[in-house]
Amino acid sequence: MAAANEQTSHRSDVKTTKPEGSKKHIIAFVFSILLTFIAFALVMAGEINTDFIYIMLVVLAIIQVFVQMAFWMHMKDKGHTFAIIAILSGVVVVFTCVIMALFWTTW
Amino acid sequence: MSSHSHVEGQLPHEPERATLEGRNKITGFWLFLGGETVLFGTLFAAYLTLRGQVMDGPTPNELFDFALVALATALLLTSSLTSVFALQAMHKHNVKGLMGWLIVTLLLGAAFLGLEIYEFNHYVHLGHTFAASAFSTSFYTLVGFHGAHVAFGLLWVILILLQLKKRGLNTTTAPKVYVFGMYWHFIDVVWVFIFTVVYLMGKVG
Repeated sequence: MAAANEQTSHRSDVKTTKPEGSKKHIIAFVFSILLTFIAFALVMAGEINTDFIYIMLVVLAIIQVFVQMAFWMHMKDKGHTFAIIAILSGVVVVFTCVIMALFWTTW
Repeated sequence: MSSHSHVEGQLPHEPERATLEGRNKITGFWLFLGGETVLFGTLFAAYLTLRGQVMDGPTPNELFDFALVALATALLLTSSLTSVFALQAMHKHNVKGLMGWLIVTLLLGAAFLGLEIYEFNHYVHLGHTFAASAFSTSFYTLVGFHGAHVAFGLLWVILILLQLKKRGLNTTTAPKVYVFGMYWHFIDVVWVFIFTVVYLMGKVG
């Protein structure tokens, strides 16, 4: 997969129009805009069910972050095992802290 | 990986991974971003704990404005995309394109920072000062830390631009551009959580 991309992008180096893979970054951008728009719309519409909105907002944010990290930060590409380990070990601490915070304030 | 097989001119296709130093720099930067995740995570946890404690100060719902947050989000998201374009220009060894897209990224980031300064100044006039309540302190610490990261990123990209102008694109400057791109995307990722947890949830509850 990565090797195939490599070859096609190499060919396009010879002064064609757009570099290979520009499209998927623009799709990631449009997707991010869309997710952001849905999040704003959910809150601006208001008055559905507060708990439902909270959960939806968190889900939308996590999807958007996955899209951006996978495509823009290339974490889906080969050779990013260490990157995933580094970020995940950070996320473990974040989860611990955030769950403690929610435990203190809501239970 | 792939860099050694494609040699074009003097520079390989992915000049940022051509040297061991470049690859180590990228690996080390991932570890740094893991640490940054912890930093922001703890600030988020503090904010979540304290956001209800408004005392006599304004509440999140009174304070936040959808239009302002939407504009800030659009600016930062677009700047993240333009830094992708900068790296793509770098992979085509197009130094002009690389510098052009970095300048666009710089301008969008500066606009975001300007908007945030305006926002904070506006809030202070509404009585939402740093010491007004536990909510205001944790708000300014979290969002301010993010803003400081943006400010640092702007200084960083200016230095990279100066270096690219002076030395051109080579296997020493390319990893710096790549690592800056990672940093900038990370700033955008943190902002996704800020507009969700601070602004949108502040409008709900």
